[in-house]
Amino acid sequence: MRTTIVAAVIAVIVGIILILGSGDTSGPNAPIIIGLLTGTAYGLVAIGLVLVYKGARVFNFAQGEFGTLAAFIVYVLIEQVRSPEIPYWVAIIVAVVSVVLIGLIMERVVVRPLMNAPRITLLVATIAFALLAIGVEIMIFLPEAKDLPRIIDPLNQAGNPVGPEIYGFTIEPQLLLIVGILLVLAVVLGYFFSKTDLGLAILATSQDAFATRVVGIGVERVSRFIWGSAAFLGAVAGILYIPPSLPLTPGIMTAGVLIASFTAAVIGGMTSLPGAFLGGITVGLIQQIAQWAGGHYQIGEKFIQEIIPGSANVAVLLALLLVLLIRPQGLLGSEA
Amino acid sequence: MATATEAVTLPAGQAAADRWRPTTAGWVARIGVLLGIFAAVLWVTAAVKPFWADRIALAVIYAIIGLSLNIVLGYVGQVSLGHHGFVGIAAFVAAYYVTEKAGCTPEGGCNMGAFLTGMVLAAASGAIAAGLLGVVALRIKGLYLALITLAYGFVAETSIFEISFLTRGGSGMPAARPNTFDSDTQFAFLTFVFLALVLYLDWRLVRSKVGRAILSLKHSEPVAASYGINVTAFKVIAFIMSGLFAGIGGGLYAFRSESVVSNDFQFAIALLWVLMVVIGGLGNRTGVVIGSAFFALFPFLVESIPGAEHFFADTLGRSASYLPLVIGPALAILTLIQFPGGIAEQISPITRWIRGEKFSMHPEGHGGHGEGHGDKKHGGLMAKLGLHKNEEEATEASTEEIKQDTEPVLAAQPEEPQGSAGHDDPKENR
Repeated sequence: MRTTIVAAVIAVIVGIILILGSGDTSGPNAPIIIGLLTGTAYGLVAIGLVLVYKGARVFNFAQGEFGTLAAFIVYVLIEQVRSPEIPYWVAIIVAVVSVVLIGLIMERVVVRPLMNAPRITLLVATIAFALLAIGVEIMIFLPEAKDLPRIIDPLNQAGNPVGPEIYGFTIEPQLLLIVGILLVLAVVLGYFFSKTDLGLAILATSQDAFATRVVGIGVERVSRFIWGSAAFLGAVAGILYIPPSLPLTPGIMTAGVLIASFTAAVIGGMTSLPGAFLGGITVGLIQQIAQWAGGHYQIGEKFIQEIIPGSANVAVLLALLLVLLIRPQGLLGSEA
Repeated sequence: MATATEAVTLPAGQAAADRWRPTTAGWVARIGVLLGIFAAVLWVTAAVKPFWADRIALAVIYAIIGLSLNIVLGYVGQVSLGHHGFVGIAAFVAAYYVTEKAGCTPEGGCNMGAFLTGMVLAAASGAIAAGLLGVVALRIKGLYLALITLAYGFVAETSIFEISFLTRGGSGMPAARPNTFDSDTQFAFLTFVFLALVLYLDWRLVRSKVGRAILSLKHSEPVAASYGINVTAFKVIAFIMSGLFAGIGGGLYAFRSESVVSNDFQFAIALLWVLMVVIGGLGNRTGVVIGSAFFALFPFLVESIPGAEHFFADTLGRSASYLPLVIGPALAILTLIQFPGGIAEQISPITRWIRGEKFSMHPEGHGGHGEGHGDKKHGGLMAKLGLHKNEEEATEASTEEIKQDTEPVLAAQPEEPQGSAGHDDPKENR
């Protein structure tokens, strides 16, 4: 119920701005469309964060690096393996499976031994794992940016951009693909957590691991499942989002997406999957509008962005602080 | 948990008045060894080439930054991922002052007064930056500080370090060293002075009433609150102290590199700083200093192995400076899982001996120095820090109960009993 209301409020706000701004090419319309699209990518990463938080009560700082690792594996398979030529979809499957394995290894080697340790220890351990992944990436691929081709080519054979055009801005098909996949995942995960035994077991573990064990649920199995699926979500986000939006460099998903995704998860309440999705869109919108406003409005003689550079990040920090101070349970936070 | 809090609150040593004491000769030997270590470090600094003295200065600066993070991580039990923000702001403030206000130039050098003023301003700006963030962020309970500091670090990178009058864009703000400490070796000795100052301040902090209050937060904030400790206020004080140390480290960083560029302060370095503190041993000054220095020197040590540079550059095609990026995190994971005490625990037989105990590989039953309750398996320190690998589940469970039971106490701070109860309690503590 609350999900519907929040979604409707966001939709109405976006709709009003779009209608008011139509016809103005320098207006906020194009940023809003971009914000919605990047926001879905944040949402995808945020859902992984929420999943881990539900199961292990810890912020998973390695969530972004699952994506970078997957993108690098795809890059190796399609750009560096020349004979035989590997089709893109095979590379994606191999990358996702490898990253899920990495997630399971992380669960076994790092998370499991610290299951009963203070949460802060586990938190630092996920940071260490993310840094380890970044270090390995730098060792193998060097810090220079790589060019990973998109799944769907944004240009047709004549060299013209393909995809629907809104307010003079062409939406890349691959970004639409992210929206589609996110919607499918949202439905699947929603069903999973409300209807299946394993989904309910995860919720039970997050509330009281000891009691869960007492009633005969395998906490280890639940933990494996959580980290495996978090790695899966991270890998999908990385493979889909990096090619159209970010240069492929070591640590790019941690540096470029993780903060926004954490903010998204916090806005959504840290435990709510639809909340993470809506939070992602909110953060995407906040970032883009702040950036647009920074280059559009002036204080005295100077543009805002000349006085405060990086207004998008400032807006994200303010959003994070505001939500945590005013409504720490987020828009949609609840235990289940 | 109550006993744990008591053990920390007791004045040092009082708990074990009649424990074993070394003889006079024993004390002489201990002091001799300690002085010998100090002398050796100073002698090495004086004897090595300026190239290495410069690295030693970096190690000392890392040690100061490590001690700064140690307050947040080791004493309060929170994670700060935005320390590169504090260090960077302080570095730019120091450089801005000496170059733009005091008229120091790279050719003419700087006088001592301008340098010291720059350092004071750097320390103050670090403390103010941390204070401003802390006043807002530390009202939020749970581990959310990690997220906020992470976002803050990015704001520092993309906004504060891009303010052109302060940082001169990408070209960097020069920071001339004082004339009397212009050479790398002289400057390394100067950093030792500041490290000694920071160690002294840290020691005074821990031994004060304020420090004991801060240390008690790590065990259980609700219990601390029920003893009348204003949890938020003491967290902010700890954060300001941490910012002060980070500011000192940042100021020295500016003068060491003689030109501050914003690229030096990126978020990966903040994560590395967290790891070096964890590997050093949370809450342990000696361990943190050793761990930090190790991280600062490690890449250069690897490069200085004969043939190593050749091996990395030609055979692997990789710079040896990438090696710590892999080894550091791997060591951190190993530390967390297998040796939660870090370097501090590994060297604890020696440090305990120097402090005046019998030499033994295992901590005494009732160790002094507030490290208290050696009845835990891994000895007092780790028990105090709550970093046990296999902390008894019963203890965990009872802590949860205490948390729940004392929730109203926590919400209504002792100073303002009618304060709005519970509006800023995230569900973390439910």
